[in-house]
Amino acid sequence: MSDWEPKIVSFLCNWCSYGAADLAGVGRMQYPANIRVVRIPCTGRMSPKFALAALREGADGVWVSG
Amino acid sequence: MVTFKLNGKTVQGEEGQYILQVAEKYGVDIPTLCHHKALEPAGMCRLCTVELFDGRRSRFVTSCNYPIWEGMEINTDTEEVIKGRKLIVEMLLARCPDVTLLQDLAKEYGIDSPRFKTEDNDCILCGLCTRMCEKIGNNAISLTGRGVEMKVDTPFQAQTDFCMACGACASVCPTGHITLEKIKAEITTQKPQLIKSEYDMGLCGRKPIYVPYAQAVPNTPAIDRDVCIHFKTDGCKVCTEFCGVNAIDHSMKDEIIEVNVGSIILAPGFEPFDPSGLDNYSYADHPNVITAMEYERILSASGPTEGHLVRASDHKEPEKIAWFQCVGSRDMNKCDNSYCSSVCCMYAIKEAVISKEHADYDLDCAVFYMDMRTHGKDFERFYNSAKDEHGVRFLRSRVHTVNPIKDSDDLEVRYVAEDGEIITEVFDMIVLSVGLQTSPETIQLADKLGIELTEGNFTKTSTFEPVATSKEGIFVCGAFQGPRDIPQAVVDSSAAAAAAGMMLKEARNTATTEKEVVPEINVTGERPRIGVFVCRCGINIAGVVDVPAVRDYVSTLPFVEYVDDNLYSCSQDTQEAMAGIIKKEKLNRVIVAACTPKTHEPLFQDTLLDAGLNKYLFEMANIRNHDSWVHKDDPDAATNKAKDLVRMAVAKAALIQPLEEAELQVNQTALVIGGGISGMIAAKNLAGQGYETHLVEREAELGGQAKNIYKTSSGEDVQKNLSGLIDETVKNDKIKVHLDANLKDVEGFVGNFKTTLASDGSDETIEHGIAVMATGAAGLKPDEYSYGKDARILTSLELDRKFIEKDASLKDVGSAVFIQCVGSRDTDRPYCSRVCCTHSIDNALELKKLNPDMNVYILYRDIRTYGEKEYLYKKAREAGVIFIRYSLDNKPVVTIEDGRMMITAQDHVLGMPVKIEADLITLASAIVPYKDEKLAQFFKVPLNEDGLFVEKHAKLGPSEFSTDGVFLCGLAHYPKPIDEAIAQGQAAASRAITLLARETIHTSGTVAKTNPADCSACGVCVSVCPYSAPSFIDADARMFPGKAQINSVLCKGCGLCVASCRSGAIALQGFDNEQIFSQISALCEAV
Repeated sequence: MSDWEPKIVSFLCNWCSYGAADLAGVGRMQYPANIRVVRIPCTGRMSPKFALAALREGADGVWVSG
Repeated sequence: MVTFKLNGKTVQGEEGQYILQVAEKYGVDIPTLCHHKALEPAGMCRLCTVELFDGRRSRFVTSCNYPIWEGMEINTDTEEVIKGRKLIVEMLLARCPDVTLLQDLAKEYGIDSPRFKTEDNDCILCGLCTRMCEKIGNNAISLTGRGVEMKVDTPFQAQTDFCMACGACASVCPTGHITLEKIKAEITTQKPQLIKSEYDMGLCGRKPIYVPYAQAVPNTPAIDRDVCIHFKTDGCKVCTEFCGVNAIDHSMKDEIIEVNVGSIILAPGFEPFDPSGLDNYSYADHPNVITAMEYERILSASGPTEGHLVRASDHKEPEKIAWFQCVGSRDMNKCDNSYCSSVCCMYAIKEAVISKEHADYDLDCAVFYMDMRTHGKDFERFYNSAKDEHGVRFLRSRVHTVNPIKDSDDLEVRYVAEDGEIITEVFDMIVLSVGLQTSPETIQLADKLGIELTEGNFTKTSTFEPVATSKEGIFVCGAFQGPRDIPQAVVDSSAAAAAAGMMLKEARNTATTEKEVVPEINVTGERPRIGVFVCRCGINIAGVVDVPAVRDYVSTLPFVEYVDDNLYSCSQDTQEAMAGIIKKEKLNRVIVAACTPKTHEPLFQDTLLDAGLNKYLFEMANIRNHDSWVHKDDPDAATNKAKDLVRMAVAKAALIQPLEEAELQVNQTALVIGGGISGMIAAKNLAGQGYETHLVEREAELGGQAKNIYKTSSGEDVQKNLSGLIDETVKNDKIKVHLDANLKDVEGFVGNFKTTLASDGSDETIEHGIAVMATGAAGLKPDEYSYGKDARILTSLELDRKFIEKDASLKDVGSAVFIQCVGSRDTDRPYCSRVCCTHSIDNALELKKLNPDMNVYILYRDIRTYGEKEYLYKKAREAGVIFIRYSLDNKPVVTIEDGRMMITAQDHVLGMPVKIEADLITLASAIVPYKDEKLAQFFKVPLNEDGLFVEKHAKLGPSEFSTDGVFLCGLAHYPKPIDEAIAQGQAAASRAITLLARETIHTSGTVAKTNPADCSACGVCVSVCPYSAPSFIDADARMFPGKAQINSVLCKGCGLCVASCRSGAIALQGFDNEQIFSQISALCEAV
């Protein structure tokens, strides 16, 4: 189990967290590669259905940030 | 071209290239220790030895400096080569047994320990340092001695003046033989210095080639000529060898560019006060005494400690931090800045609260201050919560000296508490809340431009033209106008734009060039033909992600008809090529896998437009900022992630549709509500720039609160200026004034409002494109301090009335008392009314002028004469005005006995109650907004709990609302003096003109749309939308009465309504459910 890496789907607000993730890149901050970002126009757009869909499709974690 | 064989494969290189260079190009790895791309090869380490077959016989050559020739055969990994390399590594390890690099190499070649006699050395004589020093143009070190005596050394083995301590030798040394410490101790006579990062306030270093900060625009590196070695020696230029696109040109010169302008706006800002000269605070010699600006960098996630709160000396998490206020402000003793810097109280509280929130332990934050000046909107609330909820300690005391504690990194502070007790406290860190001052360069600039400055070296402006300098056509905004915070600076910047715009209105649209529009191809109903461009971004992406592998993978995805990779997708020529490919391949969806859509989407969308495609048929996959840059050490994972990201984009792209941007005509008429000073100024500016303006006033005459004010704090006659302004307003043929008028109804939205006015019993309907809320506020009629019970107890405005009317009785007053904060800063109104301290002090001085023998007292809680208003406070003290501080829980008491007015207050100096007999009591009563809920509903704009309008953004949008087309100025925004109200009137007009000047508005394509057939008319969308975009279709409409509809002009595309809709009746175009679901399912497919 120690090698197990969770698959994380993140829903990031275009205006803040998505931009923050961009800046993390500009600052060359290193983090694990097991996260995939879906850009949404605002966390207001986030629907519980998206989180459920991600889990149903095999994601181990869902992160909503905005 | 030279053709030869490399490990049996035919390869090509250019004439004059060496074997190693060609091998690199073909991805054949040859180990080397002495090779450097920018330096001439020297064949020193011999590790790159390969086997050369010349047609007749084999021999060994060093690949780094052996030139290629036609027909040669090279083998890089034969048994013999590896055997030879192993021997070299073994000998190097014997010479330098403790060097990690060699230990690792030895392990790779299966060497446990060298068979030779080991030495105690750490230099492998690769010569990288000496060649680099030569390249730099310095030759300060070289290889000296012969045979076993050979070593890297300086001339005569003495520390040399020639070494510039640039550190280049240390940067290339593979073994750690040369380090910065060694340079300092053995090589140079000079003192190596860190190039301090300006952005990080010198807390860490930067390189001579640098991007000033992560968000810099343009985000291109610059060379600092003052420290770059090339500009000292004419050598080096190593950077040019590494730049893949030859972008570095050391011969570039500064250019003088002449531009013809009609107006100049000065926004040079301020410099933080440098406390190095204040030896009593030990700033210059103690690392744990820092400025607030340095502290900001420590708190910042992009700062030197990545936001981890530690002190500089030992990286310990501080347990006690003290802030010292007024360092470099309100001080004529240790510096020359006698003004208040306006912003430091608030930023210190902010830093203390953030620190408290940040620390997961019990952090003690103490702020030492003289007067707490939280005079901005919502600032007083923040101060209260810092005190009551966060437990920040506020100590009213000016600390004289900081004593560093011996053999410790802590600092001892001795101060006098309010009750007179001397207290000694030890802190881990001290933050100096440094003030704002004008830099010497800016003073020079002002001199060059011939504009007048104030005694504090800020721009001299008048109350009635707050952004105009003493020279016509030159305007000012920001901290050069006087110390100020962000919202006020933003107001002033818009005001300066309005003032400049007034002058330049004739020139508007005379220098516009229109872009040619390519007719849009209709792709509706076509099968998706997706084109994918994978960007290498030089080495930014390709250096980590296997771009060819991503490209090949993408070609296998459904609907992908074309895929290629580009070196720089954003370059002009690539853009043109892409447009050509889109047309040639008949692509109807385009994906660029590159950087972030936040910066580059508009650029690529333009490329689509040039190719005749709807710009919404575009997707980006962010494989740089979210991938190659953040997973540098794991290329395989980064490549897989890139494939996933592109696959997600392809899945979404197959479902995207062309979107339409509706065009809307903007009615060129403005409506200003409120005929006070800021409303009139807004109207004057709108009319002055050519727009018909209706000015609505609920009373019978214009003027608002200014009618009650005697003079400004800088001595200008308010009534004279006001009547001039009223006259100008009434006579302006573009302004229609509606007096005694009220708003009865408002319909419509940005660009197309319809407002019904009721005045004189008749209704009038005005059509207008924008509206400005300038509804003002009124002075509170107090219900305390015996107000109303005696004619000698007045409000500030009533005293002004007496001044205006030149009331002779004022001269005979023997004792006058002002009571501050009457109805402000209490539980009913937890905000500061901002103007009262200055107003009372000014009136106190006026009374003293009338009768210098008059006893004048001001009972206050904190004196808030911010900015250069501080001079008045000083002047009042010098004139003998007596200031007595009281606290909210021990307010003064006014009693009237036998016609004598007595005031009892606790004297803060004596600590005893004092009794003052007064002939005149002036209550500095609060400014209270009208809280017009009906008006707020008409224009769908919010009010806060104090009844003030809530602007779009507290810092960046102070003069406008979130609701498009509605603007804000004056007291309805927040209490403010006349100059600030005027600036905001100009600002509101300026913001409105950015809309009016466009004449048409294009809506975005990514907006929400309802399907009324599915709508249950529950109204959730109408209530949740912050922009008032959804509404109900009229009840008597023919189609779908009562169902929801969304105004695409107002919709910002946030999707809140979509997620909230219980019936699934709303779709967000461009981010619709199917599109996001497709991304999710594409993402979770296994690669």
